[in-house]
Amino acid sequence: MLEIKRVSKIYGHGSAAVTALNDVSFEVKKGEFIAIMGPSGSGKSTLLNIIGGLDRLSKGEIILDGQRLDNLTEDELVNIRRGKISYVFQQYHLLPSLTALENVLLPLTFAGIKDKDLRALELLEGMGLGKRAQHKPNALSGGEQQRVAIARALVNDPLLTLADEPTGNMDQKTGKEILDLFGQLNSEGRSIIMVTHNREAAERAKKIIILQDGQIVDQILN
Amino acid sequence: MRLYQVVFKDILRRKKRVLYAALGVIIATMTVVGVLTIALAGQARIYDQLEKYGANLSIVPATRSLDTGLGDLTLGTVTVGDNYISANRLPQIRKITDDLIRQYRDDAPNGNIATIAPQLLIQAEVKGTSVILAGIEPQEELAIKSWWQVSRGEFIKGDNQAVVGSIAADLLKINIGDNIPVNQANVTVSGILDATGSGDDYRIFVPLALLQQSFNKEGMISTVDIRALCNGCPVELIAAAINKDIPGVRAVAVKQVAATEMGMLDKINKLMIALGGITLIVGMFGVVNTLLTSVHERIKDIGIMRAVGASRNQIIKAFVIEALIIGIIGGLTGYAAGTLLAYVIGPLIFEGTTINLVPLYLPIAIGLAVVIAILATLYPAYHATKIRVADSFRSL
Repeated sequence: MLEIKRVSKIYGHGSAAVTALNDVSFEVKKGEFIAIMGPSGSGKSTLLNIIGGLDRLSKGEIILDGQRLDNLTEDELVNIRRGKISYVFQQYHLLPSLTALENVLLPLTFAGIKDKDLRALELLEGMGLGKRAQHKPNALSGGEQQRVAIARALVNDPLLTLADEPTGNMDQKTGKEILDLFGQLNSEGRSIIMVTHNREAAERAKKIIILQDGQIVDQILN
Repeated sequence: MRLYQVVFKDILRRKKRVLYAALGVIIATMTVVGVLTIALAGQARIYDQLEKYGANLSIVPATRSLDTGLGDLTLGTVTVGDNYISANRLPQIRKITDDLIRQYRDDAPNGNIATIAPQLLIQAEVKGTSVILAGIEPQEELAIKSWWQVSRGEFIKGDNQAVVGSIAADLLKINIGDNIPVNQANVTVSGILDATGSGDDYRIFVPLALLQQSFNKEGMISTVDIRALCNGCPVELIAAAINKDIPGVRAVAVKQVAATEMGMLDKINKLMIALGGITLIVGMFGVVNTLLTSVHERIKDIGIMRAVGASRNQIIKAFVIEALIIGIIGGLTGYAAGTLLAYVIGPLIFEGTTINLVPLYLPIAIGLAVVIAILATLYPAYHATKIRVADSFRSL
């Protein structure tokens, strides 16, 4: 479903050039749950941003469902974000002025899809947040905010969900709940790529890709 | 949920910042509304003053040589002699005048429009002193000389009454109730006029018909004053038409002073509007600045919106909706503040001016404010669309 072919990312030019990713290649099959691990600065978040079209690569190709993503214009990438790829961030990144339900509805608003309030509410209920739907992010705990962010990432039924350190801001118990949720979503057939530096979190995935200094140094199957 | 609802909620969260952005628009709109309101009131005031200049048009026989005047204006020279205008010409003068006014003013009423005040001037001896007797149509004369005030007694009401100019009354020691012989007739002084600073102060005014009869000048008139009763009426054209169509008379338009006054007001208006325009531009820069800061503050929110599928157009649209709201708030408040400003400053500029609320300026103010706000938003909005999602999160 997703092919990463010899992807490199270089920041800066000449003597100031920094190689963040160096010739990275791997594949993700439909329904797969992949964890990308590595120490800080290993390039794992850069890789995730490039896959999601949030950042541009310097060399290589990214193919999702037969479509090349790396050469799409900014406007074409909008369509990818509206239905094919969704994100879950470490900092949740919810809009503070909107309620939990409205945050979940936001991708539908931009995609011009109306009357899906029920679907958004069901997603929130499925995550145990039915009663918190009308609360704003500042009234929710970190774990609750992340579950809202996950619901938001699922409301468009994307092909692939990218999660950047989704448990990075949480205590162990809450982190475990979120990882359980990802496990459950994967068992429902959803494809997930998760970046983490936490071994325990990575072990929830079917495959772990280890990055170091911008290169894949190991791939472990769980 | 619609995009505008997202924007509304965001604005509610950032109330202070949005109000601060609106402040630039408010000040700009306030200045323009204030300037326009004061200018309008000033114009009305000047029109009002111009009404008091009296006649717009003066008709004299073609050959005359006696100084005469109206109000403070010298209207030329009239000689009291055998050369008169025939009263038969009056209907023709009225027709030319009213017809031309109707051509220029759609709102002209039916019936007589212009006030036409004929005068017969006769030099006569009263109490042994030579004085000019002026035969007038009392109501018409009073309509034209709206500044006339009767200081003692009352204005002419009967056929045998007279009013006396203030200096003539002093010199001739004339009092209310005195009888003055007017050739073959007698008149009773009903009132003394206030000083006007014009030739009227030296004259005795009696009913026209009485003067004509007593001096055997039936059907004869020395001068005709016309007030067209509207500003912007084509007095020069009327004068030209009268000069062309009626032989033996000379019609003079008394518009030069009015034109000068209005020209000055026009220049002042232009200056004030230019000042308002500059304020608009300064206000717009204020809004641009505030919105740019606001873009910087919301860089993360914009990144989030982009990450969950907002297109660049949708980001611009969100900014335009915000600009519309700032514009409407700015326009409404600016209109109210501008009107208030006019109430405070207007009377200081045009003494005695009454400032009126001008409802027409409300839609203009809102329209103007919305245009400023949208123009001021374009650059910040463009700037916002250039934000790369990954950068917006990295910058935190």
